[in-house]
Amino acid sequence: MLQNPIVQRELIGMMRTRKALIIQAALVVLFALLLLLRWPVDPIADITGVKSMQVFKLFSYGILTALIFLVPVFPATSVIRERNSGTLALLLNSPMKPTDIYFGKLAGVMIFVLQLLILSVPSLAACFVMGGISMNQQVLPLYGILLLAALQYSTMGLMVSCLAGSIDSALKITYGLVLFMSVVVLGPHLYLQGQPGIWAEVASFFRCISPLPPVMDIIGHGDVGAQGLDTNVDSVLNYVIQASILSVVFIVIALVQLNRRILDRARSAGVMTHQMSRFAQRFRMILYMGMDPKKRAPLIPGYVNPILIKEFRSRRFGRVHWIIRTMVVCVVISLFLAIQSTVYTEQWGVDVIGGIMVVLQVGLVVIITPSLASGLISSELESGSWRLLLLTPINSRRILIGKLLSVAVTIFLIVLATLPGYIVLMVIDFTLVTQIWQVCVCLLMTCIMVLAISALVSSLFKATATATAVSFSIVIMIFAGTFLFWLGKGAPFNVETVEKALVVNPLATALTIMGTPGFDAAEFTLLAPQEIWNAPTTDLWAAVQVPLEGMGVQRVSIWMSWNWVINAGISLVCFVLLYIRIKLLTKPQ
Amino acid sequence: MSEKVVVIENMTKKFGEFTAVDQLSMTVERGRILGFIGPNGAGKTTTIKILVGLARPTAGRALIAGADCVTESHKIKKLVGYMPDKFGPYPNMRVREYLDFFGAAFKIPKRERKVRIQEVLEITRATYMQDRYVEALSHGMQQRVGIARTLLHDPEVLIFDEPANGLDPEARIEMRDLLLRLAELGKTLIVTSHILPELSRICDEIAIISGGKLRASGTMAEINEQLGQMRMVEIHLHGAERIDEAQEIVRGHSDIAEIAGSKTEELIRFRANLTDQGMAQLLNSLVTANIPIAQFHEVQTDLEDAFLTVTKEDRAKMV
Repeated sequence: MLQNPIVQRELIGMMRTRKALIIQAALVVLFALLLLLRWPVDPIADITGVKSMQVFKLFSYGILTALIFLVPVFPATSVIRERNSGTLALLLNSPMKPTDIYFGKLAGVMIFVLQLLILSVPSLAACFVMGGISMNQQVLPLYGILLLAALQYSTMGLMVSCLAGSIDSALKITYGLVLFMSVVVLGPHLYLQGQPGIWAEVASFFRCISPLPPVMDIIGHGDVGAQGLDTNVDSVLNYVIQASILSVVFIVIALVQLNRRILDRARSAGVMTHQMSRFAQRFRMILYMGMDPKKRAPLIPGYVNPILIKEFRSRRFGRVHWIIRTMVVCVVISLFLAIQSTVYTEQWGVDVIGGIMVVLQVGLVVIITPSLASGLISSELESGSWRLLLLTPINSRRILIGKLLSVAVTIFLIVLATLPGYIVLMVIDFTLVTQIWQVCVCLLMTCIMVLAISALVSSLFKATATATAVSFSIVIMIFAGTFLFWLGKGAPFNVETVEKALVVNPLATALTIMGTPGFDAAEFTLLAPQEIWNAPTTDLWAAVQVPLEGMGVQRVSIWMSWNWVINAGISLVCFVLLYIRIKLLTKPQ
Repeated sequence: MSEKVVVIENMTKKFGEFTAVDQLSMTVERGRILGFIGPNGAGKTTTIKILVGLARPTAGRALIAGADCVTESHKIKKLVGYMPDKFGPYPNMRVREYLDFFGAAFKIPKRERKVRIQEVLEITRATYMQDRYVEALSHGMQQRVGIARTLLHDPEVLIFDEPANGLDPEARIEMRDLLLRLAELGKTLIVTSHILPELSRICDEIAIISGGKLRASGTMAEINEQLGQMRMVEIHLHGAERIDEAQEIVRGHSDIAEIAGSKTEELIRFRANLTDQGMAQLLNSLVTANIPIAQFHEVQTDLEDAFLTVTKEDRAKMV
């Protein structure tokens, strides 16, 4: 295998990148910190091995998170980058078979993963020395699962790379699939566990597409959101079966693409609806309900910021018909959850249902926003169109507003479409009105903060792929990374540490507001909104007082969470830096 | 004399210690096509960037139709249409939408814009591709759409950076015709290209820049004069027997720079700084010596020769 020139080139190429160096250094520092944090300082020996187990648990989650979020970046850009630069044509024109090319690339990534795992061995050995961890029951199965997860996510990345049209779309799709395969598949099980029937069993089985349940099982952490329930499904075996099948499917799909076909794609002839037969025109009119994508778009009205329209039109799913489709899907899912919540209220309670809705909404924002915003500036710098923009009379402020609005409007519409479920929750329990308003503030904060971070990152890089990867890494660090502390709540982290780590995370705040199990408002006082102002409506201006009293409101209060303050601060700093950066980019050299 | 539309006066641009453009001065008259040439890194793109307002000169100034490129950049944007060497496509956008966006960016009213898009598509003969996606166009098609984009706001001056780069011969001929059509429309054009024979066929004037300095400018004859270009002469003999004797006679005349003979081609080629009178004397001495001359003619020096003279001198200086 090592004789394969692709393996050597991929591996050496990967090792030489700054990205690889940062990943390796960060992991080593992280593992060292983890050990230092829990290294025994007491003169009394811990013969039960509780402390080492605590470290081992955190260590396992940390390495799993790092693996599934960082490793797919390399294979996801591998094939598409070669296709764009023209070297794939050279490779396919050489005596090497597509399988040699594919497995060469895969082996390169897997050797890199292996090297990352080897870097973790000294920390693991230190853990092992502390006692309480079994080599056969825990260490070896854990490393086996990690390797299998690396294979699963690498083959997925390579498949996407063979199918995608550009590097940044490959990265966006890959991160979407990573989140789906690692987090979203856990949702149905979390929702249906303990229920009788086939659906609960199916959900329990398919949750093992994610490597999280087997890792939790191995380290003795129970199951995802188990709530004391025990399943008779062997999550490790299930994961091994499903990850293996998925990896084979991903390999087959990639190999079907990885031949001359990948370079032999016809250019669009640009046929419009009015050039089609009359039957086709009528059929399309009914099918698209008047929003035919092949109908000529109207000219940009003079009163609209042209950047805003350009951003929508140049996005793959930015056209009106796509946004409406996405909104319809969101409304359907939201209403489905709401209906389910009415059916299962007795078993679950609105807090759990609300929690699931919040997680789904934040997940949606976290997936969509960086994929839209991380290319706002970088794609223009990369393609050379930024220079063309500077030749027009549009000033920097208008460029910035147009670009930010294009993402904000899309996200706003999508989030809006997910809100109907809350109305049903309010009908079930009207006392939730304040909580739902507060959750909406958290959602707003999420949207603004993710948009601000991604847009700022976009202005700092000339390559959209890098900007996308960095944006997703930061956002995932904030929204998923901080949850690692929550997983270690009680041991090794005390509540204060967990709270301080989560204070940056609006998802944690929303879950605290909804009273989701594990997020106690009494525990997380920094997250739970506090009432800072309360007054009767009679104290307000007449213009405000009259309509409020008309709605039956007697008192008005203002709530504030530290999370909102921090999120607002981060967003503000990012927007200011973004503005400065845009000013610099629009200034003549 | 026609009005000078582009005026560059003692313009210098430095990047730290490096001088990209050094005391450059030149002018272009209305309705003329200027070929702006020079080796890679000569300072062409930097000069163009200053002209279109994307860079600021360290010293000196540049004016377009009386507007200062630094202090009146908002005017410059309306006066100049610039097509960079990189097309700058937007994904998922059709040609019509692409032009519509730039039209809207230049604040062309909606009704006028519709007509204008149609006009520029017709001028560039790109109407048939209006519904195609810009990123799916061939390079030649993209170049035409790029020119259509620069024409949208009806600028006075058009600056094209390597418009013929990467085009096939047919597309290159089309591009040449298109540039000539634009000049006929009264536009002032500045064109950079490394395809010198193409450029010499369309340009009224040439400016050669090297090491940030203007080495020569004007018509081809003026450039030859400025560069001290020597005349190249070829003498075809009837038979190769007396070729060495003929070479000796030519070498005997003063102002002969380079001489080479080929027995297989029965030819002597030399460069000389001779006047017409000197040429006549040389021919006379060959005839007097009974050298069997089949042809005696001057080879016309072209843009490539001028370019090579400049680069050769630069290389010699560097050595």
